[in-house]
Amino acid sequence: MNSLSYDVFLAALATLSLAFLLQLVAAMGGRSRLAFAGAAASGGTATLQADGGTNSSRRNASILAVNGFIFLSVALVLRAFASGHGPFTSMFEFSLAFAWGVLALLLFFERRYRFETLAIIVLPVAIGLLAYAATIPSGAEPLVPALQNQFLLTVHVAVAIIAYGAFTVAFAAAVLYLVQRHDSVGWLPRSEVLDEVAYRSVLVGFPLLALTILLGAIWAEIAWGTYWSWDPKETASLATWLIYGGYLHARVVREWRGQRSAYFLIGGFAATLFTYYGNLFFGGLHGYA
Amino acid sequence: GLFNIFRSVFFRSLLALLSVSIIVCTARRWRGIWNATFHTRVRMNEGFLVRAKFHAQWSQTAAVSDTAAQVRSALARAHYHVRTEVNADSVALFAEKNRFSRFGTFLSHLGLVLILAGAVAGGLWGFSDSQFVVAEGSTRDLGLGTNIAVRVDRSIDEYYADGRAKDLRSDLTIFADGKPVKRGTVLVNSPLRYDGIAFHESFYGQAFVIKVQDADGKLLYREGVPLAQRTNDGERPLGKFDLPDSGLAVYITGPIMGAPDSLIHAGQVRIDIYEDYIRAARPQNLSQGVPAQINGLVFTFEREGRFTGLNVVKDPGTTVIWFAGGFMILGMVMLFYLPPKRLWGLCTEHPDGTVQVTLGMPAQRSVSLGGEFAKLSERVSTSLGTRPTLDQDQGGNNEQPVL
Ligand code: HEM
Repeated sequence: MNSLSYDVFLAALATLSLAFLLQLVAAMGGRSRLAFAGAAASGGTATLQADGGTNSSRRNASILAVNGFIFLSVALVLRAFASGHGPFTSMFEFSLAFAWGVLALLLFFERRYRFETLAIIVLPVAIGLLAYAATIPSGAEPLVPALQNQFLLTVHVAVAIIAYGAFTVAFAAAVLYLVQRHDSVGWLPRSEVLDEVAYRSVLVGFPLLALTILLGAIWAEIAWGTYWSWDPKETASLATWLIYGGYLHARVVREWRGQRSAYFLIGGFAATLFTYYGNLFFGGLHGYA
Repeated sequence: GLFNIFRSVFFRSLLALLSVSIIVCTARRWRGIWNATFHTRVRMNEGFLVRAKFHAQWSQTAAVSDTAAQVRSALARAHYHVRTEVNADSVALFAEKNRFSRFGTFLSHLGLVLILAGAVAGGLWGFSDSQFVVAEGSTRDLGLGTNIAVRVDRSIDEYYADGRAKDLRSDLTIFADGKPVKRGTVLVNSPLRYDGIAFHESFYGQAFVIKVQDADGKLLYREGVPLAQRTNDGERPLGKFDLPDSGLAVYITGPIMGAPDSLIHAGQVRIDIYEDYIRAARPQNLSQGVPAQINGLVFTFEREGRFTGLNVVKDPGTTVIWFAGGFMILGMVMLFYLPPKRLWGLCTEHPDGTVQVTLGMPAQRSVSLGGEFAKLSERVSTSLGTRPTLDQDQGGNNEQPVL
């Protein structure tokens, strides 16, 4: 079942890469069509065509992304069945789960805001995570004693990947905001919408990261007797949480919007990645994953 | 290392400062939030309503009171709490939803401060011993100002087929004042708790059961000695026990694990006796079951066993912290997902017999209300049976759906 799971995972990676390519084509198409429209306006002879080609490649990209998400879900479920526990116990499984969270939140926000171009930043993140996973050992390993708490293991990590997915969406919206600062890019939503999407996704991620940390503390108390040990991963996730807290407070108390907030979110995403993969550099209690 | 900074005075002062600033900031806002929740004006004039970011107007021929009742029920059906104030020629309305969510800020910040308070409480009134080792079959006093003792009845470890640890398991009996008060099994993810003290399975190792008799055969000692330390070169497991009556400290060294040992052979232990920090006899190897006379006493290495290493913790702060964390998240959910929403309305009778209805919903910071107002406006239109004569969003960016 594991090798089947691995094949489905590779299919997800391929599908998502194709989705990203189509997004790129659509974005390029959007730009050249804009140029064409400009030429048409000055020449005054050509009639403006609806950019059906661009829209349809964007729609196809979106459909492919959904397929990639389904493949990845299947790969994770197969793996969970094979190992008898949630797919959250090795760097390989973590990377797949993280990518899953990223895609889930992408699809949610993409639909909610009719904003398919969000994928142009989010997909490369998911693809990067999966590509990284493809380079590391994928063997399913039995659980070390500390991890043997099925319920907390599952909830703690599941909540975390949703939070991290939301922060990835916030990052993508922030990057696109910087591109769209002057409302000059035709194929992107207005800058205010981008700012709003970023904010909304932080509203999803921030409480969920708090919940992740709280569940982690509860678990640590049960397994080790101490709810907090300043283990590098704990510390990094707290720092990440405080960065997003800073972003929210700046928005509510100081009315920060737009560019400064966008840089905040890009910093927050760097911290998120560091939190996720920090144990690769540090070890610590989370050393097993 | 780097992470020791978190235990420093500097860092603790920072946390204290943070708590104070959170308390001061929220206290300053308490009045405003209290008033916004409990002392809102119902009657606003029409100028206020049409200046509101979202507003709409309807006109119909009916009695003011009937019209007001229709608007009221439309809003109530959208789960708004509506209050009215009746005048000679007009009815004022105030409709509100999730008004207590304003207190989410306090709940979140209170949670945060309580987490820090819980950490302080744990430091002041808690204790812990992360290296509490008890040999299988032995009882040991916990100390630390308690009357508690722990006996390890059984200590086992389970392995996967590939030899990696699967779980550690110990059966414990807890004694208070010498009486057994609690019995149970501890695993890595399942501690035993008694009277606010948690016993966590943490590690395990070899223990050697040693018997000591005096020259007349009187029993002086017979316990499992946990070999929880290592010798200075780090190679061999080391344990120690005292013989208080004779003022001796006895060190037990086991052979190197998993490798040949030329000094202490497999199945042997080495006995090294000290009196007042001075070696009292030449170290001697004992083979299992063979008594040996050392320093006038008879030592027997009876058998090999195991010890359980427990992390014993009392932390009265943890319960506070769990609740505080819950408050924090609950507060956030209130603020982010159930934000307070409110609007005002006025039903005015005109001399020509028509009634004009105006609703206005001022935009609030950080909350998108455009979609909400559009829905309410639709409901009111349905209820009144007429389209608005004016339906306006004073520009801006709030047409996004609300999460
Ligand atoms: C747990 C999640 C948190 C939520 C939901 C939250 C929410 C808020 C909100 C809504 C305000 C503005 C209050 C108002 O305008 O009435 C505020 C202010 C404030 N928050 Fe938080 N906060 C949280 C965590 C924190 C943290 C972690 C800190 C400190 C590191 C903090 C420190 C402050 C301070 C100092 C103010 C007052 C700012 C001022 O009055 O100028 N809060 N918070």
